[in-house]
Amino acid sequence: MAEDHVDAIVVGSGAAGSNMAARLATGGKRVKILEAGRARSNDHLVSSTLWARRLKWTGEPVLEDGANPVGHVFNAGRGVGGSAMHHYAVWPRMHAEDFECRSRYGRGLDWPISYEDLRPYYDRVQAESGVSGDAEQETWRPSGAPYPMPAVPLFDQGRIIRRGFKARGMTTAPLPLAVTSTTYDDRQPCIWDGWCDAGCPIGALANPVTIDLPKATAAGAALATDTQVVRILTSDDGSRATGVEVVGPKGRQLLYADVVVLAAFAVQNPRLMLASATDHHPQGLGNSSDSLGRYVMTHPAGLIYGLFAEPTRPYMGAYGGQLVNQDHYAKDSHVRTGAFGSYQWMIAQAVKPNDLLGIATTRVDLFGQDLHDFMQRAAQHFATMTAVVEDLPVAENRVQLSADQKDANGVPLAQVTHTTDPASKALWNQTLIEGQDVFKAAGAREVWTGPQGAMHIMGGTIMGDDPDTSVTNSYGQTHDLPNLVVAGPGLFPTSGGVNPTFTVHALTARSADHLLANWPV
Amino acid sequence: MSYSRRQFLRDSGIGLLTFQLAGCGKQMTPEQAHDAGVTPQKLSKTEAETLAALGEVLLPGSADKGLVEFIDQQLAAPVEAQLLMIKYVGPPPPYDGFYQGGLAALDQVARAAEGTTFAKLPAERQVSMVGDMAQGKLEPWEGPPPPFFYFVVRNDAVDVCYGTKAGMEALGVPYMAHIEPPSPWGHPGEPADG
Repeated sequence: MAEDHVDAIVVGSGAAGSNMAARLATGGKRVKILEAGRARSNDHLVSSTLWARRLKWTGEPVLEDGANPVGHVFNAGRGVGGSAMHHYAVWPRMHAEDFECRSRYGRGLDWPISYEDLRPYYDRVQAESGVSGDAEQETWRPSGAPYPMPAVPLFDQGRIIRRGFKARGMTTAPLPLAVTSTTYDDRQPCIWDGWCDAGCPIGALANPVTIDLPKATAAGAALATDTQVVRILTSDDGSRATGVEVVGPKGRQLLYADVVVLAAFAVQNPRLMLASATDHHPQGLGNSSDSLGRYVMTHPAGLIYGLFAEPTRPYMGAYGGQLVNQDHYAKDSHVRTGAFGSYQWMIAQAVKPNDLLGIATTRVDLFGQDLHDFMQRAAQHFATMTAVVEDLPVAENRVQLSADQKDANGVPLAQVTHTTDPASKALWNQTLIEGQDVFKAAGAREVWTGPQGAMHIMGGTIMGDDPDTSVTNSYGQTHDLPNLVVAGPGLFPTSGGVNPTFTVHALTARSADHLLANWPV
Repeated sequence: MSYSRRQFLRDSGIGLLTFQLAGCGKQMTPEQAHDAGVTPQKLSKTEAETLAALGEVLLPGSADKGLVEFIDQQLAAPVEAQLLMIKYVGPPPPYDGFYQGGLAALDQVARAAEGTTFAKLPAERQVSMVGDMAQGKLEPWEGPPPPFFYFVVRNDAVDVCYGTKAGMEALGVPYMAHIEPPSPWGHPGEPADG
């Protein structure tokens, strides 16, 4: 086995990994990024709903059970850029109450940091990556710098749905998107063609290949693809991580580093930590609290559909939507119905005729000529919006190792169990009621809803102040091995009711600052 | 005016796949493969007939768009190169068993009720049977859950009919591609992203 040594190994090249690698490399550290999937550039982002499926998870199977599976293949990614290559770039901030759920309401968990701790990092990241929006119109928006780009444009679908919100006395604002509404840092503006799910090859959407990986490699970071980490190495006394064992183009190798950053997303990070158990860490690395793998969350998606008499041109815009509403973000706004938690509406998503989120899939009851007829009607008159509903953390929702199934490298497969908390389910139900009312108020001729969707995956390696109840500290350092660092949405103790990628970037920036200021950690 | 290969690819939208024709790999759209009578690699003749008949009930015209050829070719491709929507919603790959099990179950039901395969049933009977499949009422069914099988194959049919540039434009939806589906794609052995 060959040996190699760098300052930091970063496992995964998605949003968290590429951001961490860029910051550590520009901070003067020798960084090696290990990506299990293939090399991928913006040239590979073919505009096709079918081709887009290659951007999703294609690695070893993830076994799912529970009443509400997390939808790993759709939500994860494989290859350079990870799932961020097909993310929709909806970048709202979490609210102050998201960080204090347990303290304020006696439910869920607290974060070890407050919104104010993260605010400067949100501000920094939005300037680096470019976010379009209108802070003044977002009356609910936590304090922070205004957006660096003007709001995204409004198309017919957005205008039509907006009148339903107005009729109900509710507010809408332009959806904050990490998509260029104007030329930004030499990136051209988006042309609003709705291909975000297939990846944005023109650099308008802030994916890792456009933003952070060029910074990382320009600062000297090395990117190794087709390189699967199969084990985390530790020192003889078990107090520190020393590197990783990989299987790649050169076969099986041991790679060494002062710091190991796990940024392989919310399922593979805990899987790898569990699979790296040693005599000193018999329950897996970073698992002395028995918290590792627990509190896996996925936002229940409340899907509203409608047909309108006037043309909506639903293919125009961004896949994430045109408008946002967070009027009822307060976690106790629906508590009398048994519901609890926050939610937002993403309004007027661009849609294509086919695919999992396409028009045809919204009416699975139709087939034959009826389906053709529906497609003809809906292609120009369809509208949709989606509630992003908070998923309360439940300890039994967890990543475990399969007892009897392994991948080709001998690593047990991940088994992910997830059942939505009843209060979150009740909140999801409330959003369906509210959403249908909005569409009716907007003048929809037909309104219907979809099944509970699973958006994003969070938790599994939660951060906290108490080593007895959490896996890492607020910087992502595992309590048990301080130079084994976790990055990504797996750190979230609660999910909030907003999309996670902006917060992932902010947390990663904060973590990188801390690591660089305290090197060697 | 000449009609270049690139123009052809752009207009065909779905792009080309490699099909086995007379023992040689040949690049065609699923629709062309259907017209050329390409022999399926993964599905048996009976399975292919049943799938074509099911597709015609789910979305008329899907067989002529190459539904059978598309699914069969995709099942023969490496997992990382496959484009089937079942990746999002189904059991872990490979998916051969899912499709073959569902098609066999459908024929089993048809034989039990009518003494023949699904493809040979009268059109009205096929429609009523698919309606029952969508509601999980088919007996005796020994395969993937009937509503799930219905969901997956229905969406495959939608893919070949409306997931292409031609299909979208038939609905008045401008395709607006940044990068057209290149050629070749999706054929066995091809790198997933190359």
